[in-house]
Amino acid sequence: MFHYLRNHIQAFFRAIIRVKSNWPSSIIMILVIGITLCLPATGFLLVENASKLSSKIEYEAEISIFLNKSISQDQIDFIQSALEQSPAVKKVNFEPKIKAWEKLQEKLKINSLDAGISENPLPDAFFVTLNTLDSNIVDSLYNDIKVLEGVKEVIIDSGWLKKLRSLLYLIKAGLLVLGALLAMVLTVVIGNTIRLQTLTHQKEIEVSRLIGATDSFILRPFIYTGIFYGIGGSFVTIGLLTIIIELFNRIAFKFESIFGGLIIFSNLTPSKYIFLAIFATALGILASYFSASRSIRTIKNVD
Amino acid sequence: MIKFNSVFKGYPGTKDILQNISFEIDSGELVFVTGSSGAGKSTLLKLISAIESPSAGEIIFDNQNLSDLRTGDMPYLRRKFGMIFQDHKLLFDRTCFENVALPLAINDTTSVDISRRVRAALNKVGLLEKEKLMPITLSGGEQQRLAIARAIVSRPAILIADEPTANLDKKYADEIMSIFYSFQQVGVTVIISSHEAPQSPIQFKEFYLMHGELVKPQDVSLLT
Repeated sequence: MFHYLRNHIQAFFRAIIRVKSNWPSSIIMILVIGITLCLPATGFLLVENASKLSSKIEYEAEISIFLNKSISQDQIDFIQSALEQSPAVKKVNFEPKIKAWEKLQEKLKINSLDAGISENPLPDAFFVTLNTLDSNIVDSLYNDIKVLEGVKEVIIDSGWLKKLRSLLYLIKAGLLVLGALLAMVLTVVIGNTIRLQTLTHQKEIEVSRLIGATDSFILRPFIYTGIFYGIGGSFVTIGLLTIIIELFNRIAFKFESIFGGLIIFSNLTPSKYIFLAIFATALGILASYFSASRSIRTIKNVD
Repeated sequence: MIKFNSVFKGYPGTKDILQNISFEIDSGELVFVTGSSGAGKSTLLKLISAIESPSAGEIIFDNQNLSDLRTGDMPYLRRKFGMIFQDHKLLFDRTCFENVALPLAINDTTSVDISRRVRAALNKVGLLEKEKLMPITLSGGEQQRLAIARAIVSRPAILIADEPTANLDKKYADEIMSIFYSFQQVGVTVIISSHEAPQSPIQFKEFYLMHGELVKPQDVSLLT
């Protein structure tokens, strides 16, 4: 165990020496990784914030159920009970037609006599707040309510929200594809840099082999170099995202009056940043392992 | 310790460089592999040190047939040899200390031990005061001594030197040879390739190669 740890500590320090001795290209490599990862990460940040906004609206989405004018109290009670038992329903609010009529008159500053209306034209209604936007559940609920006796009309108020959610879902899928493509690009870029490093250290590799170094001994510092690139790149990404959020929030502050409220862009959660760092590090490890091991195999012993 | 049984070595499309080589080297012996350029001396040393493998025949090291060894075991076998190459194979981007420390780092030695043993090896070859210098600043003879320090630092049972005195004047060559003799005196097996066997104060074996064949196998000379 101690031998294993010592081997890794030695490789770790050899990798630090190599990165330090070649610091300009190391910095460029770290910046390339950081900026490349920043592209899908920024997109993800936008989608995350848009999703949060849509989730907020989601809880205010309602189904409006208008009842027949001739509906009996028993039927109203039955419908209310049926709605309250549905797992998709968060809140049921019954509004009697008299109350609705009073509200409307108050809002429009009229009374029925002035308007020449002899009777209340509004029906009794239920306003149901949903706890889901799953189209299958909502459609099923819509169909169930529509066939209830005494129900005249059902209006789903969340159609546009569904479209927004679908759009966000599509963007998320697109970002995943973009992220995967950029990860491939990064693998190639890191791999190529590590391959060039193996060529720079070709003599050291050859000599080490002649005096008894195993391939894993030779390989380890290159893998640690890949890890450093990955970690460094993820720090650059985190820094860039923080700057982007700060800039956006400052700009959004100026448009507060136009939007009628302050839109604050929130940062990714720490767990997502940890995932980003792990992802970048894993990329560094994979790229350096495959590239260096392939390159080392091709380096023959010198005469 | 080392036994060659009818060993051949060649490469595809070429005549065998070594043909039907058989000999035995015991522990603690001093051996000179001699012959003119192209006789196969370096190839023979590479076969002994497991850098190359034979086309035919068998090489036995400590009762172990080397052809039975897996590729992954080869690095561990090579650690038993201290190799001194004709062109030194020093790393010019590392200090003298770091060059000598390389076999110990490979052999998983603690940093305290590395420090102690590297200084002892440098002291043995008279380069202790140059430990922080880069090898490029050393003379040819000093570079050769540095290569010897790297070979002896891991206390190998066998020292193998490929023409260690080539390109050196007589003074430096005598210095280098005296270092090898001192190791043989303490029980290390020393195998040296050279165009001809030197005037040695101690007993040695000479394997004379001509066109890839051993013409004087097991010819023990004693020059005083």
